[in-house]
Amino acid sequence: MSATTETEEPIAPPRPGVLARLIREPAAAVSLALVTLIIAAAVFAPLLAPTDPYDNDLSLAMQPPGSEGLPLGADAQGRDMITRLVYGLRVSLLMGFAAVLLGGGLGALLGFLAAFYHRWLDGPIMRLVDILLSFPAILVGLAIAAIFGPGIFSVVLALSVATVPLMARIVRGSAMVVMRLDYIEAARATGMTDARLIWKHLAPNCLSAIFVFATLRFGQVILLGSALSFLGLGAQPPVPELGAMASEGRNFLFFAPHIAVVPCVLIFIVVLAFNVLGDALRDALDPRLRV
Amino acid sequence: MSETLLEVTGLAKHYPVRKGLIVAKQVGTVRAVDGVSFSVSRGETLALVGESGCGKSTTARLVLRLIEPSAGSIRFEGVDVTRITGAAQRAMRRRMQIVFQDPYASLNPRLTVAETIAEPMLVHGIGDAAARRKRVEELLSLVGLRAFHAQRYPHEFSGGQRQRIGIARALSVQPDLVVCDEPVSALDVSIQAQVVNLLKDLQRRFGLAYLFIAHDLAVVKHVADRVAVMYLGQIVEIGDKRSLFASPRHPYTRALLSAIPHPDPERRGQVKPLGGDLPSPLNPPPGCRFHTRCPFAQERCRREVPELRRLGPGHDAACHFAETLPPAGLDFTGGLSENAAKRLALYAKARAA
Repeated sequence: MSATTETEEPIAPPRPGVLARLIREPAAAVSLALVTLIIAAAVFAPLLAPTDPYDNDLSLAMQPPGSEGLPLGADAQGRDMITRLVYGLRVSLLMGFAAVLLGGGLGALLGFLAAFYHRWLDGPIMRLVDILLSFPAILVGLAIAAIFGPGIFSVVLALSVATVPLMARIVRGSAMVVMRLDYIEAARATGMTDARLIWKHLAPNCLSAIFVFATLRFGQVILLGSALSFLGLGAQPPVPELGAMASEGRNFLFFAPHIAVVPCVLIFIVVLAFNVLGDALRDALDPRLRV
Repeated sequence: MSETLLEVTGLAKHYPVRKGLIVAKQVGTVRAVDGVSFSVSRGETLALVGESGCGKSTTARLVLRLIEPSAGSIRFEGVDVTRITGAAQRAMRRRMQIVFQDPYASLNPRLTVAETIAEPMLVHGIGDAAARRKRVEELLSLVGLRAFHAQRYPHEFSGGQRQRIGIARALSVQPDLVVCDEPVSALDVSIQAQVVNLLKDLQRRFGLAYLFIAHDLAVVKHVADRVAVMYLGQIVEIGDKRSLFASPRHPYTRALLSAIPHPDPERRGQVKPLGGDLPSPLNPPPGCRFHTRCPFAQERCRREVPELRRLGPGHDAACHFAETLPPAGLDFTGGLSENAAKRLALYAKARAA
């Protein structure tokens, strides 16, 4: 018998939970704090915002940051930037989450099916994906906005459609590698259903690829959503959305740069925080990296 | 003991080879397994040996229906398992389990040992959560691991320990037949002894039948009751272990046995190694598939396919000239290499301890 089987039961310290492992890394801890803060700000926007996002006072228009009562200044309509930002965060985050969950979920499912039923479904699914992939997201957005009219719903739909093929490809590649491993064959040999095999054995082992791409895509989707709003296909004025705000600000870039710069900085922080957190979460969820 | 558990008849797996950019045309067929027949009795170990690429592992996976056979039947307790589908097939899987070669690839890294071992029971609705937990502990101690190992993940174990976990998983649903696909060839020699002996003990205890795939003849000699030798997708000789090692009737079996390294320098000159490589299963030679490498090949071998013929009690070989071959002149019964002999001694010692 090997040495470990001879030893007495070790008094092992309890395994650290996912959260404990997550915050061991300083960058991860900071990003977690930031993401928590960002989400809290979006959720509690009505409580945090000093004013109503649609309240305008033209006498305050384009006030620079640091003016009295306006720490981040006011926009061209004289609306408080802070208020607009927290409400804008709400819309942007919702858009990002919805598109990544919907598009990523459907894409992952297609990827798993293509890899698992390789013989029958790989061809049809991947050709469908290729077709979807050949449309630029902006074009899809234009088409959908033409059908449903511009607005948040159209943006989410367009971004979901644009996310499906990317996620499908990534998941398929990752799942095809896993499908070749013996434990998939072992699982099949136990006689479990295909659904259980995919859910318990295939999907968890593709999780790291999914996680990395989903968080990366979350940032891209917020940027793309901002771009669509910028083009006038997404959030319609006066609805606050970070991209739309940046778009409005570009007319005043020389007189009042803060109107465009402040939302862009916030977009930057949000995207960065989610990407770092996604990376850290992937590591924390992998049992092989547990100490 | 002699009740037939598994009966395989004319089993074949042909892979079409397609070529063409737009319209794929079939340009050939890889005959990975080409008409293999054998049977395994309850509680018996049948070893399947042969070089790499001869179709041993494919045969194992065909028996378990992890891949679909192109032809032939697989009867398990008289039921043709190639014809059942859906729920009946899944229920049948409970009776036949598999232990893999690579203990690093055969365990899902995301599941704890307890989850891995309990899963087959869960799938087949055996016991409730508490009963399964208890059974996991039983199985762990049966394969020489400890109860506290249950909550660990596969990466925390050594190769030998992982192989034990794989064995515990296979046994959790009390199968009748376990297919062992080179279960020890990825392990250190010292660990091989433990695992081989564990498999033998478990067989005695639960009356398991093994289909034991191997290419290491020292291991085969230790565990097998009967041995089947495969060459290019076909069985060329099958027989009782003693009789096969004492008087191999097929030239290929002889070549395999004499390829075992031997310490006696006088013997070295007598062994003529087989020339050439295994011919491609895409285009197997006509007649006897072995004639391209056989030192005794004659004209008839190039034309006529030899059938498996009964040459002694429970001993068949597929060679036209099995009776008239010159005596091998080598003693394979005791003549395993010094290293192999040492290993057998080690196995015996480990068992006694």
